[in-house]
Formats: sequence, C-alpha cells, structure tokens
Amino acid sequence: MSDYQLALQQLVDSALPTGAFAHSFGFETYVDAGVVFDEGSFGVWLAAFVGQQLTYSDGLAIRFLYEGAEVGELDELLSASLLPRQVREASLKMGGRLLEIGTEVFPSPELALYRDLVTTGRAAGHQPLAFAVVARSLGVPFPEALAAYLFATVTSLTQNAVRAIPLGQNAGQRLLRGGADGVAAAVERIPHLAPDDFGALSPGLEISQMRHERQRARMFMS
Amino acid sequence: MSTIPAVELVETHAPGLGPAASPDLGPCPSPAAPDPRKLESGPSRQWAPHAAHHAAAPKSGLAASAVKEPMGELALRIGKRAGRSVATHQYHRGALRVLRPHYLDDSGQVCYVLVNPGGAYLGADLFLLDVDVEAGAGLLLTTQSATKVYRTPGSFAEQRMALRLGDGARLELMPDQLIAYRQSSYRQNTRVTLRPSSSLVMAEVITPGWAPDGASFKYEELRLRNEIHVETDGGTELLALDNLLIRPPLNDVTGLGFMEGFSHLGSLVVVDARVNQALADELHALTAGYKAHTGMSLTRSIAGTTGLVLRALSNSTGELNSLLGACTALLRERWHGQAPLNLRKY
Repeated sequence: MSDYQLALQQLVDSALPTGAFAHSFGFETYVDAGVVFDEGSFGVWLAAFVGQQLTYSDGLAIRFLYEGAEVGELDELLSASLLPRQVREASLKMGGRLLEIGTEVFPSPELALYRDLVTTGRAAGHQPLAFAVVARSLGVPFPEALAAYLFATVTSLTQNAVRAIPLGQNAGQRLLRGGADGVAAAVERIPHLAPDDFGALSPGLEISQMRHERQRARMFMS
Repeated sequence: MSTIPAVELVETHAPGLGPAASPDLGPCPSPAAPDPRKLESGPSRQWAPHAAHHAAAPKSGLAASAVKEPMGELALRIGKRAGRSVATHQYHRGALRVLRPHYLDDSGQVCYVLVNPGGAYLGADLFLLDVDVEAGAGLLLTTQSATKVYRTPGSFAEQRMALRLGDGARLELMPDQLIAYRQSSYRQNTRVTLRPSSSLVMAEVITPGWAPDGASFKYEELRLRNEIHVETDGGTELLALDNLLIRPPLNDVTGLGFMEGFSHLGSLVVVDARVNQALADELHALTAGYKAHTGMSLTRSIAGTTGLVLRALSNSTGELNSLLGACTALLRERWHGQAPLNLRKY
C-alpha cells in the first residue's frame, strides 16, 4: 500500500464535508427546462461537463500546480475565468472548506502558504488548487491525483442528480461507471493541452450556470 | 455627422506584403503557392496572466509567432483635445488601416472604422493592433465588414490586439461578425488593460462559418481569448479571462452543453464601475424580447470596477446584433446620454 492511499481516499470521499451536495454546476437549470430528466439525459450533460469545463478549468489548474506554477497566479486565473458567479462562488466555498480540513488533517508548508494567501486577501481559495496542494504534499502522483479529483466530482454530481431528478440508485451506479470512462479520457487529454486552452468555456454549460442565478425554485446553490 | 480628418496618415507599405489573393473574387480563394510565412513551432505561452503575449510586445522573441512578419499592423492613440476625442498618434502598415474618423453625435466620442484591405485573413497571417485611449477620451472602434477567415491549411490566421484605457477613458469595441470558412483556423487574442474608472463595452458575434455546400461548422478551429486586466497604483490584476475555443472536428459543438442546437454565438462584455446586479437584471429583462438563449453574470470586483458578461445563442447574426444592440443602447443612453448605435447608416 502506498503512503498516500488512505489519505487520498479520505480527501476524495463524498463524505468529506466540503458542501459538494449543494452544487449542481448548472445541471439543475437543464432539469428545470426539462432537458435533463432521466439517466440518459443526465449522462449526456455529465459527459459534456467532464470533457469540457472540468477538463479545461479544474483539470488544467491541477496540472499547472503540479508543474510548479505559483498557486497565487493560478488562483487569479481561476477567479477570472470562472465567469458564472455561482460557479466561482462554489469553487471558493468548497475550496475554503478544503483548506480548513486540510490544515487540520494534512498540514504542510505548501498548504499553509496557500491558506495564508487566502486569509490575507491575496488569493481567493479555489477547490481544485486546495486539493492539488494537499495531494501534491502527500506525494500523490499527478495522474492519480487528477483522476481522483475528477471522479470525486463525477460522484458528487451523480449523487446530486439521483436526489434531484430523481434517479434510481442502480441508475446512479451505471452513471458512475460511464463517468469513469469520461474521467479516464480527460486524464489522457489534460497533459496534452496547451496553456492557452486554460479556461476554455462551453457556451451552453456556461449559459445554464448563469441562468441558474435566476431560477425560482432550486435545490442547489449553483 | 461631421467628418474631420485625423492626424496625417503614416503609410509605409512594404512591397510584397499585400494580400496573397484577392478575396473579392470568390468566397474561398486558396493561394496558389504555399505561403512562405510558415508557422514555426507552436506557441510556448506561459500560463501566467501577466506573461501572456500581446501586441504590445510582438518583437520580444518570446512568442513563437513573433518570427512571423505581420501582415498588417495598426497603432492608434486617442486623446482628448478641446472636449473632443482625436487621434494623437496613428500608424499603420500592410493590410490593416482605419477610415477617416467620424463623430456620430456631439458627445465627443470619436468613431474609427477598421478596414482590412485584403478583405480576409489567410493562413499564417498575423495582424497586430495596438489601441490606446488616453484619460478622459472616448473611442468607438468598429469594422467595415465581417471578419472573414479563409482556408489556412496547416496553419492559422491570428489577430493580436492590445487595448489600453486610461483614467475615465471609454472604449466601445463593436466589430462585425466573424465568419470562418471551410478548413480555416483563427486565433484572436485581445488583451485589455484598464483603470478602475475606465469604461469598456465589447461585443462579438460568431457565425457557424461558411462552406460551399452550406454546411455549418466546417472550420478547423476558432480561438477567441479576451483578457481584461485592471491596473491600479498597487499593480495589475486579472479581472476576466474569457476564453472561447471551438474545434468542430474534435467535439460535437452543436449539441447539449456547447451550442445547444443553435448556430450563432454572441457575447457582450462590459467593465465599468457602474456595473452592478441591478443593471444585470435590467439587461436580462431586455434580452427576453429576442429569439435567443441567454445567460448573464457578474465578475468579481477589483478596485471598485466590475465586469458583466452576457452570452447568447441564436440562429442568426441579425437577431444577435439586435439583442446586443439593445443592451449597448441602454448603456449609451444611461451612461452617456447617447442615441443607439446605427453604424450602417454611415
């Protein structure tokens, strides 16, 4: 067993109290519009979200951090590129919790530095960066950290879809199995992306995330 | 409308830098001979927001495309003289120039129309634009016609624009729509540096492109990247990175999550200290009257200024132009007491 295995499992466990249960990252807008309504239609949204937004924002941010980029500069890039307000706030809310939890259970000088930047207002504190700082300090190799992060996101979104649409528990498990293929493809692809690809947006996903601000009845904060 | 000549035009046409083919002859000309301005290796750009290349430093040697000879260059500096905005410096070279300036009303805002005499962008073409709007000055920058990108086999056409806005300066950037032809690739990098008291409005419409058989999305790649930096006395911070990447051969760009079955994409970016949620709500209400699928959100605030981003999907350039025009009309009236823009009448 590797030194980091159980730590990584704790970090990406859906029971980690970061508040992921409260965010749909725009799929609730599609549910409200009747576009996402069952296992198949949610699977289409999930594949688009993982293959596009999650790849170009969170995934690339994690890669750049592992490649030695300054966490403060990546933090600024994420704040600037997450244009839908609720998505930006979701990243910061979960990032803040991850910084707190990480400081308690997996302290490291790198994490202390990022947290210090955040508490002094020099950084905002984004979820993928907080995760990457902790994972890197634990010695988790990049591909494993990336896959774990992406799949944890797929898991929490699927659990949220099971509650919100609603879907059966077995449907949820089939979605996770399909989502794993999307995660594997993203892990293959992210190392080959160019720096200018960072933050590449998908208009439809972005519009749904923006429209969520104006949705009347909603279960999720994003 | 009065037509006032700007400062003397500086023309230094270098021989051999004219357009490789006359695009007026047909919708999709392809240069007979291979373009000698070969693209070197791929750009090795930094991820860092401040290290991204921009037109202000094209000869730094850092960006791979700096080895390319620009196909067209334009520099324009607008200052305020006796209550009116005028060009205090103007330079152009190659396939890029501006028409004589216009004043569309008595607000003092000067209007320049950008012209690409070649009519289109071709493979490996590099266009550099450098626009400075000095403190208190106002500029409306538009284009004479749609930006067309023709076949760029094995390469890409590129436009790099550096825009700087001084204290209280105002820029409206309202280009015509972008049309990418079959087998074309295009990169547009716009880097804006503004002050907390500056006012920026930029609109853009991207069409599904053009192919002889009428099919959509037959181009190779479009990259439109806008970086907006806020400069304060304490330093410069990135307010917004608006990065659009469309690669039809790789993804299903027409489906859920991307174009959602629509063909045209419109964007409006506003940065101004007066941007707030109430304004976003008002603009949102305006969008309801158009056949478009829209979303709108505010950026974070830096030094008291905030960005607003409107994204709209629709099925025609006309519908998106009407929608974006209605939004900019509201801002022009509210903030400057100006009438809606009606560029086509000139």
